Amino acid sequence: MADYLAGIWNARYFWIHLSLSDLRSRWRRSFFGILWTVIQPLGMTLLLALVFGRIFKTEITEYAPYILSGMVVWEFVTASAIGGSLSFVQADAYIKQCHHPLAIYTLRTVLTNLMVLILASLSLIGWVLIAMPQHFGWTWLAALSIYPIVALIAWPLATLLAYIATRFRDLPHALGLVFQAMWFVSPIYFEAKVFRGGDLHGLVDYNPIYHMLEILRAPLLRGEWPTAVNYAYCLGAIAILTSLAWIVGRQAEKKIIFYL
Amino acid sequence: MKNNHILLEGVDLYYSSVAFKERSLKSLLGGLFSVNRTKPEIHDVHALKNINLEIKAGERVGLLGHNGAGKSTFLKMLAGLYPISNGIRVVEGTVRSLFDLSLGFEPDASGRENILYRGLLLGLSPTFMREIEDEVVAFADLGEFIDYPIKTYSAGMQVRLAFAISTAVGGDVLLLDEVIGAGDANFMAKAKQRITNLIEQSEILILASHDFGALTSLCKRGLVFHHGELIFDGAIQDSVQYYKKVNGLE
Repeated sequence: MADYLAGIWNARYFWIHLSLSDLRSRWRRSFFGILWTVIQPLGMTLLLALVFGRIFKTEITEYAPYILSGMVVWEFVTASAIGGSLSFVQADAYIKQCHHPLAIYTLRTVLTNLMVLILASLSLIGWVLIAMPQHFGWTWLAALSIYPIVALIAWPLATLLAYIATRFRDLPHALGLVFQAMWFVSPIYFEAKVFRGGDLHGLVDYNPIYHMLEILRAPLLRGEWPTAVNYAYCLGAIAILTSLAWIVGRQAEKKIIFYL
Repeated sequence: MKNNHILLEGVDLYYSSVAFKERSLKSLLGGLFSVNRTKPEIHDVHALKNINLEIKAGERVGLLGHNGAGKSTFLKMLAGLYPISNGIRVVEGTVRSLFDLSLGFEPDASGRENILYRGLLLGLSPTFMREIEDEVVAFADLGEFIDYPIKTYSAGMQVRLAFAISTAVGGDVLLLDEVIGAGDANFMAKAKQRITNLIEQSEILILASHDFGALTSLCKRGLVFHHGELIFDGAIQDSVQYYKKVNGLE
């Protein structure tokens, strides 16, 4: 494993570059360019908050950042998992020419999405600073830890899925469905109390997605520190996904080139 | 101490047949429920059969063989791209391979940007690439087109740029697969010169080609492949003779 990580480190210029060029091409020839990353979730949030705010009779200034925080993180996770599952197929020209650890291609996708997430979360921070300035404080430092945590969850997840999706090319379609289902049963747009109200505590308490989002939500939306349980669930998810990716990768890594 | 060499013992390589059979979850699930239709049987392709070989520093080796004999597979196996199924493979030294040159261009990026991308793909640092950029641009000789997106290039221009980048840096072990033959006559002369320089810098050269002239002038030792087997290993002239005999060319 140390050799594998060293290979990733040696190729660092390459994947950093690929990732930056992904970002450049994303914003190329668009009027607002980089601003779209901020505008899009903001607009969507306003719309949803107006509707859901009425349905659930919640204060919109507080509910909107809840939706926004769920939206930007969830967008990152799905984009990394579904986009990441196609990473090897997309990079086939590189894979057939040069021998690098395959995980650099999923790292590229995750890194690109992480930079989008960081930009998009600026709108969240702006909103909270204006609407709920009382929550600003030291706890916000903990919110920063969301970035390495989601990246370390998404990278092995994307790598695992990419090994499988190269073999079964219709996996991304199936994933779309799976993630939609996960969205419905997790407190991403819907508040945790809605699930608790329906006596569905399990969907909150044992849901890693909830704990992952709490790392961002506890400091920003309530001015509290995330709990140790929140971190434990995240680290557990990282450990499980990394081991799975490692086990599958030991078999699949070398054979991927035959499937491209 | 550098001790560049290649050692192969009992190397087998199979292309697994699963790769070109069912490729989707749908067909996998479908296969479980469908009645057994008779399909043409597809087996694993045994692309390299029990290869035993040692190549020492300073050797110039030519590969001969009919199409599909395993020359390219052999080179890609040496480069570490294809996994071997059995045996031992030892390759010491930095490997530089020139296979499909025009692979891996970003069509929306300019020629100049693509020089950087390709260099980074080969594991070079951005600072080093900036140093050699001017030299590559001068060699490709594309004029103002170097700042245009690659998608505006003609096929010949792409090959020229790819060749210029790929041959800018050498390695200890140089693997060539039929790359000589790019661009117009003017460029060909330059390209030959550059390949020759690259070969001189390298410790080990392995060249796969159907051009007997190039093989005999560049190489000392010859390997003849036939249906995945290494059937002859000796001096290049003898190898050419043997290859002709086996394939009924004389």
